[in-house]
Amino acid sequence: MNLKATSRKNAIHVMVAYTGGCNGCDIEIVNAVLSPRYDVEQYRVLLTWNPREADVLIVSGVVAWQMVEPLKKIYDSIPEPKGVVAVGACAVNGNVYKNLVGDIGQNEEIWAPVETVIPVDVKVPGCAPRPEDVIAGVVKALPKILEAP
Amino acid sequence: MTSGEKRVEIEKELSFGPVHPALIEPYRIRLFVNDEIVEDCELNINMAYRGIEKLFDGLPVERALLIAERVCGICSHVHAWNSVRVIEGGLKIDVPPRANYIRVITQEMQRITSHLILFGHAFEVVGHETFAMRSFLLRESFMDLISYVGGNRVMPSVPIIGGIRPRADLTESLKRVILERIDEFEEKYKGYVARIIEDPLVMSRLTGIGFLTKEDAIKFHATGPTGRASGWDYDVRTKMDEYKPFDFNVITDESCDTKARIVVRALEIFESLKIIRQAVKNLPEGPVVNRSWRAEEMDFTTALLEAYRGELMHSYGLDSQGRIRNYKIRTPTPTNLAAMEHACIGDHVTEAILTIASCDPCLTCCTRAEIVDSGKSFVLSDLEIIRKYGWRK
Repeated sequence: MNLKATSRKNAIHVMVAYTGGCNGCDIEIVNAVLSPRYDVEQYRVLLTWNPREADVLIVSGVVAWQMVEPLKKIYDSIPEPKGVVAVGACAVNGNVYKNLVGDIGQNEEIWAPVETVIPVDVKVPGCAPRPEDVIAGVVKALPKILEAP
Repeated sequence: MTSGEKRVEIEKELSFGPVHPALIEPYRIRLFVNDEIVEDCELNINMAYRGIEKLFDGLPVERALLIAERVCGICSHVHAWNSVRVIEGGLKIDVPPRANYIRVITQEMQRITSHLILFGHAFEVVGHETFAMRSFLLRESFMDLISYVGGNRVMPSVPIIGGIRPRADLTESLKRVILERIDEFEEKYKGYVARIIEDPLVMSRLTGIGFLTKEDAIKFHATGPTGRASGWDYDVRTKMDEYKPFDFNVITDESCDTKARIVVRALEIFESLKIIRQAVKNLPEGPVVNRSWRAEEMDFTTALLEAYRGELMHSYGLDSQGRIRNYKIRTPTPTNLAAMEHACIGDHVTEAILTIASCDPCLTCCTRAEIVDSGKSFVLSDLEIIRKYGWRK
């Protein structure tokens, strides 16, 4: 591991972008990073709300149409190298909001999956995924950031 | 909007959101500020519109439960329970007493986790990280218990029409585990609450801001702990048949400020523990689900339930094939919004976010489509929106 990768590894900043699901995944993500039980901060993975200092973007929720432009803006303002993790069934495939519909066909009020808006590196399925799964997803996104030139 | 008859000159508008470091959920706050004093406040909640009420239309009623539970991730059990209470009330389906007890147990467990999220959020806004972390740690023991009962930490899916899922039935060993864990929790939690109340720094930050008098609380329809913190003893639990066997108090506070809203929730957790203990100890024997029902035509029926933030309404009708028509959900937060906006007025601008956080907004499940036209705003039903604009491409 070269010097750049070592220094990057020591300060991984994670940003949560919440795009309008049901709040469940959002709390589990904050739990995974912050809460004393699944404390990832001890491995120097830090939660930030500023896209300009973030390395990994965690997206949760169906992408409501009001959130499409803000999400693109957030993605653009994260500096390279960056990784995107889509957490939860809503972000991966739209969950019940997209597919399970009665009379009217597919729900076009939402833009899920997240892939249609920004490129996604890692997907974490589950409704809602456990904090351990979220941590595993973030770890899988790390090699892309560390090995970048 | 809420400042009354007199028009006030505004120096500056502060606008946050929809994605802002100060806010986790996507919503927009506009604070109208005069010399750092908030003169008016406007909350725009329309950032996460999913069209969820329209999704229900035409679904078989059993499948609707799947979606109803996913309206909100904090109060998932409430939505699942209330959606089945509508059809149980409308078609007179009997629910075995054992199933009712287990529903109540899950409800009160999730109420505790929801209130502890509020403490975590409120103390993070205050800037006291230690209290926030301790509340998240305390919350984990109840997340574990919910996952033992239902199989998932967030979406336990306990109620089905006519009872509960057989998987969620409490075994003898699980009953013992629940009783042990809540004893352990109560001891730790008592220490936590005493530590908060004795802390002069935190208390001086909370006391005396965000006033909402009883008259205003009733005028702006504040429900749940937000209303009870203004001295209005309204609790749907006292009127529900499911809560008849249990003995509990309705906590109210007359001091009407941000501290009262935190303290009411802190004391409600003890009442919830009392209900869980009674329910687990007196759990009746018998079946957990009644399968002898058929979905048939049902009139528009309404069910009310005390969710963790206030009164929750679900209502729908069934057509002759047992499919859902005209699903309506009113979550507690939209009724609390006007009270939140009113409580911010007159305080320093730094207290506004804390006041809103102390009212415990859950803004994902309350989004309505709305048209603002020349100062007057009115809410359209989903059908009217589709008729007017069609499905958005």
